[in-house]
Amino acid sequence: MNKTLDELFVYPKELVDEESKRVIHLVRQWADKEIISKRQEYRENYEKLFIDKSKTLNLTIGLQRLILPEEHGGFSWNKPANAPSIVSILTEIGRADAAIGVVSAVKYTIFAAITMAPNLDKALCNALAPVYCAEELKTLSLILPSMGNVGQNTPLFLGRSIRATVEPEGDGYAVNGKDLRPINSGAIADLFCVVCADKTDKPCIALVPGDDVNVVRGRTLLETGLNASSNADVSFNNVKIPKSYVISRKGVVEEIYTWLNLLLGGVSVGTGMNFFEMVGDWSETRTIKGGYMMKENPLCASVLADVADEVFTSRLLLYGLAQIISKPNDWGQNCSQMVYSISQIIGSKIQQNVIRAINRGLELMGSAGYSKEWHVEKHWRDVKTIQSYLCGVGAEAPVKMDTARFFYDCKEI
Amino acid sequence: MKNFDEFSKPEEYISPMDKHFRSVLRKWAAKEVMPFRRKYDEDWKTHHLIEPAFDKLMGNKGVGIQKALFPPELGGWGIGQSDYAFTVACTLAEEVGRADTAMAVAFMVTYWPLTTILVDPHVNWRLAKEFAPMFCDTEKAVFAANAMTEPQGGADIENMEILGGKTVRTTARLNGDEWVINGHKLWPTNTGGVAKLFVVPCTTKLGSHDPNDFALIFVPADAKGVTQGGPYEKAGMAADKNGDIWFEDVRVPSWYRAHGPGMDAQVFREIIPWGLVGSMGFVCGAMLNLYEILYDFVSTKTYNNQPLKENDAIAGIIGRIAGDIDICRILTYEGARMGDRRNKPYGYPIYSDEVVGKLRNLKDFVSDRAVDIFGKAMDILGTYGADREYDIEKHWRDIKIIQLWMGGKQLCQMEAARYFFNCKTL
Repeated sequence: MNKTLDELFVYPKELVDEESKRVIHLVRQWADKEIISKRQEYRENYEKLFIDKSKTLNLTIGLQRLILPEEHGGFSWNKPANAPSIVSILTEIGRADAAIGVVSAVKYTIFAAITMAPNLDKALCNALAPVYCAEELKTLSLILPSMGNVGQNTPLFLGRSIRATVEPEGDGYAVNGKDLRPINSGAIADLFCVVCADKTDKPCIALVPGDDVNVVRGRTLLETGLNASSNADVSFNNVKIPKSYVISRKGVVEEIYTWLNLLLGGVSVGTGMNFFEMVGDWSETRTIKGGYMMKENPLCASVLADVADEVFTSRLLLYGLAQIISKPNDWGQNCSQMVYSISQIIGSKIQQNVIRAINRGLELMGSAGYSKEWHVEKHWRDVKTIQSYLCGVGAEAPVKMDTARFFYDCKEI
Repeated sequence: MKNFDEFSKPEEYISPMDKHFRSVLRKWAAKEVMPFRRKYDEDWKTHHLIEPAFDKLMGNKGVGIQKALFPPELGGWGIGQSDYAFTVACTLAEEVGRADTAMAVAFMVTYWPLTTILVDPHVNWRLAKEFAPMFCDTEKAVFAANAMTEPQGGADIENMEILGGKTVRTTARLNGDEWVINGHKLWPTNTGGVAKLFVVPCTTKLGSHDPNDFALIFVPADAKGVTQGGPYEKAGMAADKNGDIWFEDVRVPSWYRAHGPGMDAQVFREIIPWGLVGSMGFVCGAMLNLYEILYDFVSTKTYNNQPLKENDAIAGIIGRIAGDIDICRILTYEGARMGDRRNKPYGYPIYSDEVVGKLRNLKDFVSDRAVDIFGKAMDILGTYGADREYDIEKHWRDIKIIQLWMGGKQLCQMEAARYFFNCKTL
């Protein structure tokens, strides 16, 4: 391959300033040097190296503080205009390891709700940043509304069940919720961000420190992918939190979804780009029909084209969404129905595209694609896991409902 | 609908033994596999958990199913000479596949090389007698393998229509009354130290595309010069081990060749339909299990405070899933029936372009639908879709390789194009 990834999978480079490009370049070097060039070693010592590489990324390079304001030692990427740069970072991380990408994406999503202009909550930032963004690696976990159980009516966020509650107690709040399923890291998280219903059934988010004795974690889940994130169900048994740990401004849950769609999209696009690299190498070293290089066979070439096509269009969509988020004056705030709906459409589409790209490429790689030795099957499992989590419940149905509400003004769905 | 047994299958095609087989295998699956299958992924290398379940399925202390193809006079059940051989294979694949597709693959691939010598009209009685005790007189599961795929060209070897075996690098040289075999095979099911017996597709003249130079030779795994590598670690299919096999000056009696020049190439083409129908059976079994799990999930979980299945948009998705399962099962049994028509006046030989082209097409379609609906089912489960406790994600990982093997999608598409459009150069 005589072109770089960025020459092939083009994106509007003008959305990313020169200083940000240097940080992005640093993360690409980390990905290449620390993980991609050492896939075998990384696979064989995954649990240990996952933590080591996460520390390098978050503490040595300092990405743990990426979207904190400067006064907290952060990079000050806490303005909507930074969205394209932030998603570029996630793409680079996702190219190396989707699990590190998801943990990072969730952390940035949660901190976006706290630090992103114009909603910078200085008091909350002062309380949380020194603990969760300092010199020790900290993990954040996100619990979104998803499905309910028959016979138990719950407050809803656009059809999805909110199974956690927050109620005033003393000078703070008490959080309750049983067997909640986070997106990531339930078994190890230092801080949970959970979508709750308040006493009027309105959605809000609560931040719950993981070391509270009334936080009860289930056993670590065995999942299709992203296992290094150590997920587990979590119950909150009347956990007391300070008043400032509840964010109830209108649209905060929509903001969370908007950022999550963008950043998990970035992770999956990065994973897809690395898959493209792998399947490209494969197609140049394998022959079919007794001598043709695989990529020179028209049918195989058309499959390879599908892989490139899906990743290529996904990256363009991704930066389209980043641009929309980055210009609230043109498109509206991240919590607006328009931006939220667009993020749902694009977020869902990107996951579908990337999983299709990998599924198609695996068709060519056959058993090698299926073997752990070639490393591509991990990408396949990881992206599928992201996709299912992002669906939340009912496959694409909730996103279709969000879309129909926006485009057709549906009222009853 | 009362239960998953009501997914359509053409009842008039079904073997008289169908109910009995299903009842026995379902009990075996419920007792020996279902309670343990979530731990199989970690058991991929040693099979400590998996092996006892295989013994209960295949060996004489259990169901004893590994002898099914052998003639009754050699201690078998005579399925190889039955008019329902393919349909029975489909039933077995489905029932075991419902519990664990990898177990279904491993046990049915034991039949695969044996079909070349045990299925009418090509029964090789001398070889049948030679190998019957290995499979019929034991309490342990005994596996065979079709050592087909080679490192350099993957499933090119299956492309007999165009390549005629010219890419085969594994050689067989007749030396006195022995074949001397040299070569390297990669990834066959039941390798990685499992198989006791291989059939080795090889060439008697390197680079030849003359079918007379293509040979199928049986090689006991303990023959001198046979080396098996350890199993590969994979995305799924833990109960099916795959590895490398090296044949270095391996000597076997000359009569271990399946049939001889010309006929070996023909029976090799005949095993392809067996693999295709088996593949469809495996994924149908997994799809039946998907339905069971999904039914429970969409009945007990809610969206908009309604059961998932009562929401019109979600019902549209699960309705399509169930519809696809129904269609795939019908197609699978139609494919099986094509195989069972082979000796009938209105059937085609199973090595014919008609049968191979149509079955490749059916297998391609059914496995594509399976990959799609398992992915969709995971998304229906949302945050629980990737959770091993719900069993769907395991099937999702397992069935992907079924779509990819036996030449993969592309060979299926080529064979279909050749047959349906009379393509000459593909």
